Amino acid sequence: MVQYESHLDRAFAALADPTRRAILERLGRGSATISELAQPFGMSLTGLKKHVRVLEDVELVRTEKVGRVRECHLGPRRLDDAERWIDGYRQMLDARLDRFGELLQNTKGEQR
Amino acid sequence: MSTAQQQDNAGTTTVSTPSDREIVSERVFDAPRDRVFAAYTDPELIPRWWGPRRMTTVVQEMDVRPGGAWRFVAHDPDGRALGFRGIYREVSPPERVVQTFEWEGMPGHVIIDTVTFEALDGRTKVTTKSLFHTTQERDGMLASGMEGGLTESHERLAELLAEERGGR
Repeated sequence: MVQYESHLDRAFAALADPTRRAILERLGRGSATISELAQPFGMSLTGLKKHVRVLEDVELVRTEKVGRVRECHLGPRRLDDAERWIDGYRQMLDARLDRFGELLQNTKGEQR
Repeated sequence: MSTAQQQDNAGTTTVSTPSDREIVSERVFDAPRDRVFAAYTDPELIPRWWGPRRMTTVVQEMDVRPGGAWRFVAHDPDGRALGFRGIYREVSPPERVVQTFEWEGMPGHVIIDTVTFEALDGRTKVTTKSLFHTTQERDGMLASGMEGGLTESHERLAELLAEERGGR
């Protein structure tokens, strides 16, 4: 099913994890290296890198190698609240209207 | 499910905020306008589509005429009940319904919904314009949708994964 693979759905899946949301919040205050990010979460570098990779895949985070460390920044896909809210609201509505669409399909022969 | 139907269901709703107190959504349904309007305003059909899938909606009142009241109660699986109510302001079959919407959990925060049904060659475009009293209330609704949208899409994802497991 194509719909679950859309960029938006992957972005939502990426945002579903509290650690990843916290990473985004942290990067919203300024860039940080992987180890700087890992410290407050008490997480291994490997574990944190996995989360960063997920965020990078959906362009919420961008990383670059600076000397021997990897710096993380917020990615090109800007997530200001309004955009996030509208996307979330749209998804909710879409799911509900799916039900209405199914009903129309299912009642095709019943009425009239 | 046919491929065409899957495509119809695949993210066809658009949402915009044309002013700071409005939310407008649009969705095209593959059914003629008369049927869409009839389904939309039929109290017997409301429990089959209104609200999130995990809720069971009971229609307590639905008097579809100007000045008529509606009240739905949505029950979640944990036994909580959420009441929603409003008044119909305009009912013009098969083109337009204007009604107020109020969640009883936040009494006094009334939204005015204008729903238009546009015939498109056998299909129907349903546009809902929600007008809020203040920008704050509108943003609150958008933010709550964020939560709801996540929950709903997680449920649907879980269903999909369960289906895939069964298929193997």
